[in-house]
Amino acid sequence: MTILTIFQLKILVPWILSMGFGILVGGTPGLTATMAVALIVPISYYLDPLAGLAMILGVSFTSIFTGDIPATFLRIPGTPASGAAVLDGYELTKQGKGSLALTIDLFCSVMGGLIGVLILILIAPPLARFALKFSSFQYFWLGVFGLSMSSVLSSGNMTRGLVSALLGLLVSTVGIDITTGYPRFAFGCTELMGGIGFIPAMVGLFGISEVLKNVRSKERLLATSIEDKLKVSASETFGIIFKRKWTLIRAALIGTCVGALPGAGADIAAWVAYGLEKKTSSHPEKFGKGCFEGVIAPTSANNAALGGTWIPALVFGVPGDSITAIVLGAMMMYGLRPGPLIFQQNADLVKGIFMIALFSQLFLIPVGLIGIKIYGTILKLPRNIIMVIVLVFSIVGSFAIRNSLFDIYIMIAFGVVGYSFEKIRIPLPPMILGIILGPMIEDNLRVGLIKTAGSFIPFLTDPISMSLITLIIFTFFGSRIGGIFKLLFQNNDQDG
Amino acid sequence: MRKVLILGLIAVFLMVASAGFAAYPEKGVTVICPWGAGGGTDRVARFMATELEKAYGEPFVVVNKTGGGGAVGHGAGAYAKADGYNITLLTLEITTMHWMGLTKLTYEDFDYVIQINQDPSAVMVRSDAPWKGVKDLLNDVKANPGKYKFSGSGAGTIWDLSRIGMFDKVGIPVDAATWIPTKGAAPSIVELLGGHVDVITCSLPEAAAQVESGEFKALAIMADTRDTRFPDVPTLKEQGIDWSSGTFRGIAVPKGTPKEIVKSLYETCNKIVTSDAYKDFMNKNGFGIKIRNSEEFYNFCKEQDMTWKKVLELGGYAK
Repeated sequence: MTILTIFQLKILVPWILSMGFGILVGGTPGLTATMAVALIVPISYYLDPLAGLAMILGVSFTSIFTGDIPATFLRIPGTPASGAAVLDGYELTKQGKGSLALTIDLFCSVMGGLIGVLILILIAPPLARFALKFSSFQYFWLGVFGLSMSSVLSSGNMTRGLVSALLGLLVSTVGIDITTGYPRFAFGCTELMGGIGFIPAMVGLFGISEVLKNVRSKERLLATSIEDKLKVSASETFGIIFKRKWTLIRAALIGTCVGALPGAGADIAAWVAYGLEKKTSSHPEKFGKGCFEGVIAPTSANNAALGGTWIPALVFGVPGDSITAIVLGAMMMYGLRPGPLIFQQNADLVKGIFMIALFSQLFLIPVGLIGIKIYGTILKLPRNIIMVIVLVFSIVGSFAIRNSLFDIYIMIAFGVVGYSFEKIRIPLPPMILGIILGPMIEDNLRVGLIKTAGSFIPFLTDPISMSLITLIIFTFFGSRIGGIFKLLFQNNDQDG
Repeated sequence: MRKVLILGLIAVFLMVASAGFAAYPEKGVTVICPWGAGGGTDRVARFMATELEKAYGEPFVVVNKTGGGGAVGHGAGAYAKADGYNITLLTLEITTMHWMGLTKLTYEDFDYVIQINQDPSAVMVRSDAPWKGVKDLLNDVKANPGKYKFSGSGAGTIWDLSRIGMFDKVGIPVDAATWIPTKGAAPSIVELLGGHVDVITCSLPEAAAQVESGEFKALAIMADTRDTRFPDVPTLKEQGIDWSSGTFRGIAVPKGTPKEIVKSLYETCNKIVTSDAYKDFMNKNGFGIKIRNSEEFYNFCKEQDMTWKKVLELGGYAK
């Protein structure tokens, strides 16, 4: 196996084609990276295993990036992992810097992806061993930690943020409860038994609410088309990224680690990275109003998380997320057994996967730039037409995810909720966090309690849990704890 | 003149009608898969769809209708138009869901085409576990109620029910071991690897990587005969426990679909599932092959329905 192996035409052609397909999938809300991989797998059976894996890697990295394109331009996340990219990305679009934001986004995706893949190559086995230590107790606290980000994301008013997060948690309880198999809040309606779809809810909250806002707008929409500079200078892009290199590296590390946990994926990684960046920032008030850190953090993290999800997949043969779950099935079709033995039995193949993953990042640059150009033409249209496009995308996307008409109603209902909440200044991101993290927190709490026969002690005594609890306390009360220390020292001084 | 016209119309109508039957399918057919894209059932559905498309020359399109623990997809399949253009990749859940109160739908709402797969449950533990065989394990569970944790998938799913049925056969109360619900076999494998549970019950191929690398050992499979791919793993029956259990998949159509179409589908599917390509596909995916014709499949579902009623009651899942 040399580097040239992966540049044979029989691998290169399907690889590049799948990346082109990724632009389409990621850019269309409701078509997720998972779905793209599921569609590609049956085709890949007719190909060389490496070509098949190249297609899967190519399409997943590309669609996770391109998911940010509609998130930035239209305020509809293209994939679940792009939820956090909406916040500052769309603000920048409104300021006429949409293409700049996406170009930065692209290079951070590439860098984040590279960091994730490098960690996968260098320290996969020990990181996977560590991830195994995570069980119900640790996942519970990780979920709570993620949720504590809602206090950071609720720009100022913690009570409003809390209301939003709790409503999100409530929404997440609808459907069959996996711990007991009992349907909750379903009212005998079969569609509700499957729970409220996360994608229709998110598309409604962000996309439809924006349409409603524009419908109510008193200005004539025709006149308000956004002046977007489609030409972006390289020096400006790299200047902005270079100044914030630590944001990128931090986010990529967080992303990889979250991705490596079999119970959490790119969507959670992006939110956690965004929240932590805002929390530790010296100017948190700029987040959500179009600051570049708010673009760099989530986008570096979600692409890095993809590399992370391959860690448990290759080392133990257990999936890191829904994409790698499909990949594992595909690998079995190729006659491979992912798991502890693959590094010895199929060393060449593993090397091939690593090289393809690395080069996919490089290929992503031209492919992504084309994607930005294609979707960028949308912005040249007048607002009244853009809003129709948003509406169409929202409806098609909500339907596509489960082929369910019911999900369109859910999406519309959430659109109205999103619009009303923004009117009364209740922030939306905490609600999204509640919906994503609700099942993780609840299931792990309840399953954990089943394991301990009702005792809470093991939730508190484990070292990983304790570190997570400390982090949570600091997120909520960090500033006050600092204040208390200050107070104590001042008192001492006076006493002395 | 009028008579001629009427006769002519009748003749044309009859020709069209008979041509309609003769030419099934004359348009695309929807294959409803009640489970998510990329999962095991989806892979089987897509394989069958591709092969049916080749055989009939019309598109067979897989549509994933997920949610409600299978209730949404099976419901969509059963209540679709019974014209032969909606077929469902039926799974075991059709015999358990209605007992749990998830749906009113039962196995009686379908006409059966063919069963194409069956995967027995297996009992697996970590290699460093003290138990030599499944008897050892069950005696230990009996002697120490509440000490051991089992997992495999969600509560009330087939791998949970397999365990409950096995316990029942040897006279162990259901709550002698704790069932740790997870979102599927893969997360429970992680739990067993990490030492958070003691035993898992799921199909053997799902944990093949761990069994082959020597991290897990399989104590038994819940089938009538050994699996030729894992000849060293004994059946429960060999060890004196009369219990077989597992999941199955097949093809069904809404009740009242024309008999000719069901027959045509059966014959075509039968050709597909007896082909080498199918054997190769199932083998690579780690799925077992079990073929039952329309009538046998219906009777099998009927029998399974009663078995699961009892087991669900034991587990406290029945409504």
